[in-house]
Amino acid sequence: MNQADVTKLVSKLRIKVPDQHRRLRSPKGPEGRLDKLRKTVTGLIKFERIELNHHRADEARQYAERLISEAILHGDCHKPTMEIADYWLLEKELLHKLFKVLVPRFENSNTAFTKMYKAPKASSGRNIDKAILELRGNPYPLLTNKHSNNRYLLQNVLLDAAKYEYRQAKYAEMADKIGKNEEISQPKSDDVAKSKPINEV
Amino acid sequence: MSVIRKSSLDILSVGKWILRRDCRLLSAVPEKVEVAEKAQEEIEKLSGRKRRFNNPVLEYRHVYPEFLPDPNPKWRNSLREKMERADMLKRRSQIDIPEFYVGSILAVTISDPHAQGKTNRFVGICIERKGCGLRAEFILRNVVDHQGVEVKYELYDPTIQSIQVLRLEKRLDDKLYYLRDALPEYCTFPQDMDPEMLPEGTPVPLNPVQVKLKPKPWLERWERQDLKGVSNIEEHLKEKDRVRRELRKTPWEKYDLMKQYRKTIPAEDQTEIWSEVYNQLQQMRVSRKKLSRKRLFTTPKPQLG
Repeated sequence: MNQADVTKLVSKLRIKVPDQHRRLRSPKGPEGRLDKLRKTVTGLIKFERIELNHHRADEARQYAERLISEAILHGDCHKPTMEIADYWLLEKELLHKLFKVLVPRFENSNTAFTKMYKAPKASSGRNIDKAILELRGNPYPLLTNKHSNNRYLLQNVLLDAAKYEYRQAKYAEMADKIGKNEEISQPKSDDVAKSKPINEV
Repeated sequence: MSVIRKSSLDILSVGKWILRRDCRLLSAVPEKVEVAEKAQEEIEKLSGRKRRFNNPVLEYRHVYPEFLPDPNPKWRNSLREKMERADMLKRRSQIDIPEFYVGSILAVTISDPHAQGKTNRFVGICIERKGCGLRAEFILRNVVDHQGVEVKYELYDPTIQSIQVLRLEKRLDDKLYYLRDALPEYCTFPQDMDPEMLPEGTPVPLNPVQVKLKPKPWLERWERQDLKGVSNIEEHLKEKDRVRRELRKTPWEKYDLMKQYRKTIPAEDQTEIWSEVYNQLQQMRVSRKKLSRKRLFTTPKPQLG
């Protein structure tokens, strides 16, 4: 049993954090693992959308979220935060981007700062899971294409026509019903008022 | 028992001085004071720190660290933690478990069926606080008859009759295991030591003492640990030790953000936990202070015969 470390206050991450860290093999060992993740995080902050292997993407995602949350929490006047950002971002222009562009972008958000998608795998070669890691609010077009509401796609055109035909048949049926009711009870005009209104299909 | 206590008159005189200072400011230079306040507000707005954790309940994470659960997600269970906290508060309502830190000197009396008078008292310096919930423990160290003795107690052990803080202070390190290899003078405390009272409202003092170690052999490689409370490690090192220490250093660990995250409970979860227990703990502290004041102010009974 270990007591939680209370010297530092951290903000809760809004992504799923696995129980243990992934080891990411490298000739230098743990230092090499952090070097790899540094390069990935620098690339993510620089390009805002990168494609890479799933495991490295997941680890880098956690570190990127932590970096951005520390920057939001403490700002750039806080010396230890500046040192951490200096270590993680290999290109020093990105320090300015982190504190002056990304922090105002994500300051008031309630969601995670990054998104990860599954990318198509290479058809031949090794069976490695690929992922795309991007920052929210990036300037590129969306990766997910929600065309379900596009009325000009063939499936929607056919479905709309089918729905229209069904509705017309229903109206005709109801009109026949009303006509029959009138024949049965001729003098009563209340039936027309009592008949149910036509519902939209 | 000699009791050192600042009289209330001193506090009142300090209060008078502060009031006089304020009156002078208000009468002499009112505009400058207002301008200074406005400038400070503007600075705070510009820095835009909306996400700072300003909640005062979070201060209790230093005073009662055992209320926070173990951060390992394998052993997290919200229901069990809630029940544990309720049990801890129940025990605290029975006996006063005071605020103490690693480096404070405590006196613990436990009920012992085999001892004379059925109680056993031990005085020592706290070298470690570990564990969470009802399994929180601390180790007291003392040197008795030139023999170093360490006793481990559980904070919420029902056989403990009292825990008294004789000297409340903090040290430069989190764990004081190096006292085992230090000169005995740094760990000897008399068993009949008197409690040293601090004036109310003072922050916990930090003892910057730097301990001298005995020559090698040591129990651990103290040179490889980042210890601030030891003065003479370098004297006892050979060239080989220095070289191996440089090779073994891991300077990248302090930048490992996820390692830090996995070792601690995030502030949002901590706020939830502390807001559950804060009120009760605060009430207990206030009532204990009142009781201690009452005890000190009782008039001595007239001795008959």
